[in-house]
Amino acid sequence: MTITRRLALAVLGATALTATSLTAMAQELPRNVRLVIGSTSTGGDTYQNSAIVADALADKLGINIKVDAVGATAAFKALERDKRGTTLMIFHDQSYLGELYGREGYKDPFSTYKIGPTVAINPGNAYLVAKNAKYGTMGEILSAAEAGEKVRVAIQPGGVSEIGFSAMKNAARLRSPGSEANLVAVNTGSQSDKNQAMWDDLADVINGSIQANEQFTQLADDDQKAMKFVWITARPKTLEQAPEQGMGDTTRDKLLKYASPETNVPLNDAENFTFDKEFFFLYNAEMDDAIVSQIDTALAEIFENGEIQKRQKASFFIPNFLPSDKARAHLEAKRNTYKDVISEITTN
Amino acid sequence: MELFAFVTPLFLSLIVAGTFVGIVFGAIPGMTATMAVAVCLPLTYPLGLENGLALLLGLYVGGISGGLVPAILLNIPGTPSSITTTFDGYPMTRRGEGERALKIGIVSSLVGGLISLAILFLFAPVLADFAIRFSYVEKFLIIFFAMTVMAALSKDTLVGIFSGVLGIFISLIGVYDLSDGGNGKTRLIPPGLDYWLDSGFSLLPVLIGLFGLTAVLCEAELGVPRGLSRSEVKVGHSSRFSFSVFKGQMLNLIRSSGIGTFVGILPGVGGSAASILAYTNAKTFSKNRDNFGKGEPAGIMASEAGNNGLTGGALVPLLSLGIPGDSTTALLIGAFTLQGIQVGPLFIGNNPDTWNAMIFAMMIANAAMFIMMFFAIRYVALIVTVPKHILYPIILMMCVIGAYTINYGIMFDVWTLAIFGLFGWVAYHTRLEIAPFIIGFILGPSAEVYFVKSLESFGDPTIFFTKSWIAMVLWVLISGSILISLYLARQARRD
Repeated sequence: MTITRRLALAVLGATALTATSLTAMAQELPRNVRLVIGSTSTGGDTYQNSAIVADALADKLGINIKVDAVGATAAFKALERDKRGTTLMIFHDQSYLGELYGREGYKDPFSTYKIGPTVAINPGNAYLVAKNAKYGTMGEILSAAEAGEKVRVAIQPGGVSEIGFSAMKNAARLRSPGSEANLVAVNTGSQSDKNQAMWDDLADVINGSIQANEQFTQLADDDQKAMKFVWITARPKTLEQAPEQGMGDTTRDKLLKYASPETNVPLNDAENFTFDKEFFFLYNAEMDDAIVSQIDTALAEIFENGEIQKRQKASFFIPNFLPSDKARAHLEAKRNTYKDVISEITTN
Repeated sequence: MELFAFVTPLFLSLIVAGTFVGIVFGAIPGMTATMAVAVCLPLTYPLGLENGLALLLGLYVGGISGGLVPAILLNIPGTPSSITTTFDGYPMTRRGEGERALKIGIVSSLVGGLISLAILFLFAPVLADFAIRFSYVEKFLIIFFAMTVMAALSKDTLVGIFSGVLGIFISLIGVYDLSDGGNGKTRLIPPGLDYWLDSGFSLLPVLIGLFGLTAVLCEAELGVPRGLSRSEVKVGHSSRFSFSVFKGQMLNLIRSSGIGTFVGILPGVGGSAASILAYTNAKTFSKNRDNFGKGEPAGIMASEAGNNGLTGGALVPLLSLGIPGDSTTALLIGAFTLQGIQVGPLFIGNNPDTWNAMIFAMMIANAAMFIMMFFAIRYVALIVTVPKHILYPIILMMCVIGAYTINYGIMFDVWTLAIFGLFGWVAYHTRLEIAPFIIGFILGPSAEVYFVKSLESFGDPTIFFTKSWIAMVLWVLISGSILISLYLARQARRD
């Protein structure tokens, strides 16, 4: 009897202890966290940015965070499987642009997941032409379209690469309705494919980035590979926070010449179109709010400390911490703007 | 000396340690050089750029080289680029020449690695300019050329081609990815499997299923009778290696290394195509072409020189254009971005210290790989003497772990391993040919992308013949390879 009673007490005690620890665990991040990202590349900006944030967060909370470059579809699936906080995700505006452009595997992130804090902006999204091209500015490109000339633009459809192209079409429509049909998308894949499309004379304009393409702008005019920027989509307010020396030979002042307001790609009669590629956390919709708060608080302290900003800026990112609730409102407003742009060019 | 200021004990230790770990990753079925680099990439940030690159380049060279060990000893390619090593390596092991085959592979790997390194050092910017002449059309023709080996590898040409086409068909299941320039739509997925197959079957689980699990199933079918439980394959005296085996093979080695380097230079063509193309050429130009696939040392030389030739070649577009040449160098670019360094056309001129450190690290990694593998291989080769009832469960376990980890823990990859293991077993009992099937599976997605993009871009099917002189040269090679395959098939039927 004594043994039975002791056994029953022990079982009860163990159950209570387990329940208590499970409850405690549910309110904070577990010891080992997997941070999936929406890109399969470890050489790209998503991995680079996520690695910086993961390092800082792991140090701050005394946990292990492993960044896995699994790609968007696999990352969303992993996120949907785990509500304990063991799997978190970092991605950028592609999360909602994929859905707006109707890509398979993308759902409305605002209704499917919890939106976490924003952490950084990559101000590098850019459009380039060959150095010896007949178009030197966005104005000349839009004029050519207006004059009936076909302008081929190499993009990867369905997301960040296409949103600038959609904006170009919208600007062409505002300038001269119907001329947007003369801006023709050349669907390519990676940055390598976009560059190659220009070198093969299959595209007049390519989507690229300051980071990946700046060195090509330094090449001699007669080099087949030489390019020049015509448009940087970032907001001027964002670019102004970039390091003064800019990237390579292109100083911040020079970069600003390719961005609004010096380069005009109108969104409507009152303002220019701009696009900042922002990185933010996504969580499982049922993840405990206490974990959301834990990450918000930890990141707030990390950004207050100031060290992470130095590392982000050294990698040409603009620090942009917004806690979850503000991030959600900001990103939803942004999504609605781009939804209008896309709908304007598809319905008109 | 200022020039070698980066050479520190830590730098050297990292190369050696990286090479060792890379060899281990390459030697375990299902683990690859790419995986080794991915695992160690986050470690490089605190190491700094040059030390970080030393570690990653060691892993890269070791990982590519290590794949030959299971390919030769167990008929399981350690990495996709060692598939063609199995064709002649394993038959040599079966006739008691495992150690000899391994040493031939190791020496060929060293030659391939060093030749490609020399080409990288001397001609990187020039070759990058040449590489950009290869548009979708020329890249498709290169893949098509590599595919011509499917017929040459088959016992029955027609069945071989059918198997290859079946491999291509199955490789196209899933999404036609936007990142490849596709339309982002899924196709060919059986009903109810959309969730699992939206990205298609992963290559590594298919590969180790077809080679590893099939072998286990076939052996299990034969049973393990008492007294016969030890492998029939022995590392006997007939396994003696002599450098004289390379007599008359210099051209094969140089050509294969050159092909490997060249394929590496072309972004997107893929590492596996390097050894397949090198093997196709070696067979086409060999006097002993009948012996290929039956344990011909020249086949191992071509395959290993080809896949190690890739290591230097794939760095050419990375360091001259900022574009990775294969999946592993795509990870290497992460080491640069983590340090905030941009790679592009001016990288070499602007960063001479990093450039010198990389060349030096590759040289040391090749030397370390050779020393570690050449002198330790005698003991590694003893693995084939382990009784099969012990060895095969271990292989099975490694295959399952490899399949599960390749995409960071996807259980469906283990099912893929099982499905293709069974498929391989069925193929073994029917007339289907596994080698052409897997070559079709590997090359199919690239062939599709380049074929479709060629037509989309130029809008005219004749472009494949008229695009450039490079296309014409490739057609000559393709025609030659097909004619030789047909001639060999006819000869075989007469015999």
